[in-house]
Amino acid sequence: MGIRSTVGACRSGARIMGKRLPQIFFVLSTLSLVLLIAAIWQATRPSWKTYQRHYFQLEAVGEPNAVTKAAVLATPPEIHQILLPGLHRVDRCTTCHLGVDDPTMKNAPEPFRYHAGLGPHVASKFGCTICHGGQGLATDVKDAHGNVPFWNDPLLSPEYVRASCGRCHKEGDVPGVPELTEGRRLFETEGCRGCHKLNGVGGSIGPDLTEEGASHRSPEWLEQHFLNPSKVSAGSAMPNFQFTREQARSLTYYMLSLTSADMGSYYSSVRLIPSPAYGRELFVQKDCIVCHSIGGVGSKTGPDLLDVTKRHSLEWLDEQLVNPQLVYPGSTMPEYDLDTNSRKALVSFLATATPQDAEAIMAPHKNVITPEDAAIAAGKQNFARFGCAGCHGTELQGGLANPNAQGGQVPSLLHLSDDYTKDEVIAVIRDGRQPPLDNVHGPTPPLYMPSWKSVLSNEDIHEIVEFLWSKQQKAKDSW
Amino acid sequence: MNRRKFLSWGTAGMVALCSGVVVSLGAVIRFLVPDVFYEPPQSFKIGNPADFPYGPPTFLADEKIYVFRERDKGFSVASAVCTHLGCTVKFFTSDNRFHCPCHGSVFNENGSVEHGPAPRALNWFEVTETRDGQLRVDKNKTVPPNYRLMV
Amino acid sequence: MNLIREIWQSIVRRDPLSTDKGKSELVFHNVWLHIHPAKVKKENMRFKHTFYLGFITFFLFLILVTTGIALMFYYRPYPPQSYQDMKDLQFVVFLGPFLRSMHRWAAHGMVICVFLHMCRVFYTGSYKKPRQFNWVVGIMLLLLTLGLSFTGYLLPWDQLAYWAITVGTNIGSYAPIVGGKLRELLLGGHTVGEAALIRFYVLHVAILPSLVILLTIVHFWRVRKDGGLSKPVWKLKPRAPEQLVTIGATPQVAPMQTIPASKDKTYGLMEVVTGKPNFEIITPEEEEDAVFSYPYAFFREAITLMVTVTSVMAISLFFHAPLEEMANPAKTPNPAKAPWYFLGLQELVSHSALLGGVVAPALMVIALLAIPYFDRNPSRRPSDRKWAIGLFTAFVVVNLVLIIIGTFFRGPGWAFVPPWVHVVAGPE
Repeated sequence: MGIRSTVGACRSGARIMGKRLPQIFFVLSTLSLVLLIAAIWQATRPSWKTYQRHYFQLEAVGEPNAVTKAAVLATPPEIHQILLPGLHRVDRCTTCHLGVDDPTMKNAPEPFRYHAGLGPHVASKFGCTICHGGQGLATDVKDAHGNVPFWNDPLLSPEYVRASCGRCHKEGDVPGVPELTEGRRLFETEGCRGCHKLNGVGGSIGPDLTEEGASHRSPEWLEQHFLNPSKVSAGSAMPNFQFTREQARSLTYYMLSLTSADMGSYYSSVRLIPSPAYGRELFVQKDCIVCHSIGGVGSKTGPDLLDVTKRHSLEWLDEQLVNPQLVYPGSTMPEYDLDTNSRKALVSFLATATPQDAEAIMAPHKNVITPEDAAIAAGKQNFARFGCAGCHGTELQGGLANPNAQGGQVPSLLHLSDDYTKDEVIAVIRDGRQPPLDNVHGPTPPLYMPSWKSVLSNEDIHEIVEFLWSKQQKAKDSW
Repeated sequence: MNRRKFLSWGTAGMVALCSGVVVSLGAVIRFLVPDVFYEPPQSFKIGNPADFPYGPPTFLADEKIYVFRERDKGFSVASAVCTHLGCTVKFFTSDNRFHCPCHGSVFNENGSVEHGPAPRALNWFEVTETRDGQLRVDKNKTVPPNYRLMV
Repeated sequence: MNLIREIWQSIVRRDPLSTDKGKSELVFHNVWLHIHPAKVKKENMRFKHTFYLGFITFFLFLILVTTGIALMFYYRPYPPQSYQDMKDLQFVVFLGPFLRSMHRWAAHGMVICVFLHMCRVFYTGSYKKPRQFNWVVGIMLLLLTLGLSFTGYLLPWDQLAYWAITVGTNIGSYAPIVGGKLRELLLGGHTVGEAALIRFYVLHVAILPSLVILLTIVHFWRVRKDGGLSKPVWKLKPRAPEQLVTIGATPQVAPMQTIPASKDKTYGLMEVVTGKPNFEIITPEEEEDAVFSYPYAFFREAITLMVTVTSVMAISLFFHAPLEEMANPAKTPNPAKAPWYFLGLQELVSHSALLGGVVAPALMVIALLAIPYFDRNPSRRPSDRKWAIGLFTAFVVVNLVLIIIGTFFRGPGWAFVPPWVHVVAGPE
């Protein structure tokens, strides 16, 4: 029975195997083996190995000793990476850019050329992408340079690279990058904060700019946007400020430097020395003397600051500058957008400040004596600091185009007292309002008065109104 | 199709399949071999020769090495890792000895064991001068204690 | 030489494969193979009967387990490291992109194949008595497969993952009373974040695969215990119910001790106790038409395995698994879509939250689970079950159409945009 059934099974087996299954099985197993080998072959031939081979050849050229030469040529290829835990980055750029820290490669062709002029910013401590952008994790040319889908930080073109200095050097002058200083100055004086939030302070008409440097916008786009906002962004509410080409460039630099990414203590505080001189500069710039006095010289609104560092710990002072209300409930001191280094600089200035310093600082403020005058001066500060000037003009003249708002433009603030009481103006600043329309069926005007109650204290608003009233022009002449 | 043919195609297929399995096992092992290490590199620059003083050795905590610089002799680099169980030894200028805090091993300034459980002398690493005039230490290459780099 | 033979004998413990006994012993003396019968009916091996979909699904699962374990060596379930690990797999791990792609494509393939397998079982009526419970196990496996795919979707921590899971879990939160709480429990918070990632990871690599393995064992075992594969529909005689022996029914076949060849069956123990078996039994005529599993069935299974592996490898060699920018909770892509197999539900949610989020999924699951108990028609012949086939086809078609609309015809703002129209994204 055994034999018969085997034969039978074979015959029927041949029939049910009619579609040449063993051959198919053979073909498929071979095919899968081939595919596997193809995948391995692909994986063993990354493009960076070719670059490394070229580099070793380049190195070997100048090598007189034959043994060393052979050793250089035989260097095993490997991925180089710079670990930057302080910057939350891993840069593998040096896998191909092998000569960045080798001065003998200063005339080598790219990608092997030496990077001159780095000063203390050596590649092994700073990596590459913190300044240049690109995708540090990648190991092939296209992905590494970052001009690929789903990577927001492509390589910055050489003319904008210096903007990256501002990512760590957040305050003060950056040597060799006047554009950054100018951009920061323009931002604070042209009233950009009126519409844009930066580090939590500012208006809400335009986008928050805190992370602008980390967004996917190209420098060219930004620059065009400053020259003519509606050209690159149709329907943008941003007015045309008639910036010059240089100003647009400066502002672009500043925008590219904006990021809230933590740069680590090594990169932000140790390197930028918080000197008393810089602290004094800040003391003047932020008009501290308007409320404070040093050794009795100055205003009496806030506490006297002579020897304040002996009365309070450095931590206390630092915290006070971050969040006055938290440390000292009921404090009327406003919150300033100061980073760690600026706060350190201010405190280091206060440690050495004398009444003579105050005299010198007060010189332009000689006539500030009455509380009313102090309020007006503080109001002026607030007006500039919170960006009111962005729309209402540095001279309160208004006049920015605002299509379909009554009068077609942002109103002048020079004749407020004719139509409003102080309380009415305070209410408008606090709660904001939509401008009255020219044509009720027309489009909503792009600009409007935002509500400031979450940003400004009642005190701040009161001071601003005092300032506005000090500027009112009496209407009697025009009738 | 006869039985022999049937089996030979099948056998060939099995051979291909088995080689596929072997190759993929190899591939998986290769997959597990790391191509990058998330740790400080084994070969690294430590800076300019002028950064290092004469006299007692300079300790580099991240790299766990002691850099010796001797007048007229040059540079040498000792490992700060105890050969017993891997604790970090400390150099005391008072007695010119390395002391291990874990089990009390003591090494003299040549790295040789004087007391304690350590089985071997401390490692000395090769230090070379790079083309841009800096010092490079390679932890993959150990050298005898009398090795010196003259700069 | 003798020692080698002795060792070999101690491992395999069977007669030579040239004998029938050897062929049988190969199957039932081997822990991996004994889930097979020693002999199989030739008609059951026909491609057009099962399309080997169950095997393909199982092999895809094996691919997923092996590639998945390999990937675990390089994955940290913690943002943003998870995303960096994806980049590392892409750039600095040998074969990393290949293995990740294999895992991704096999996962999509498994969702498709498990669904097609369910359709095949329905259309051949193979869920009918005595196989009702195995259908239920199968539906559970379908749900687990979806769960595995869904939990795995989050792990790369890119924009695609983040928003697909945000949208996907929100569909579930429409369930009344418990929906929101369930979502919180699943995510470990109110939004997708670190807690959600570790929860999804544990589900994906430990809990769900273990459940799938357990249920797969039950599923396979029940296939055997229910009498092997169901008879192909074209072999069914018009009076089909007579093929079944059920408890209490008059036996239509010869007394048990005369059933030939049954001694070779592993469930032969059933035959020494009194009582009637509760599975399909093979009649003597059918037994004549059976062949040994070795080599005929094994060859076909091996070919199925090779087809599956080869296809997944070929696709992975040429198409890499997508990886978008890192998850950014502050930036919602427009449109944000759930994983494709949930897009039918998302499409329904866009019309009615209650319908898409609660009614449709609940009804679907309940209906699928209840099919074998609800369908009282004993016949498996397609001509006898026009209503059932019509209803099921409608269910499949509606599902497919909704998924296709959701996947290809929905643009920014969930507006209807045909795939051949290019939409320029509006100002942000």
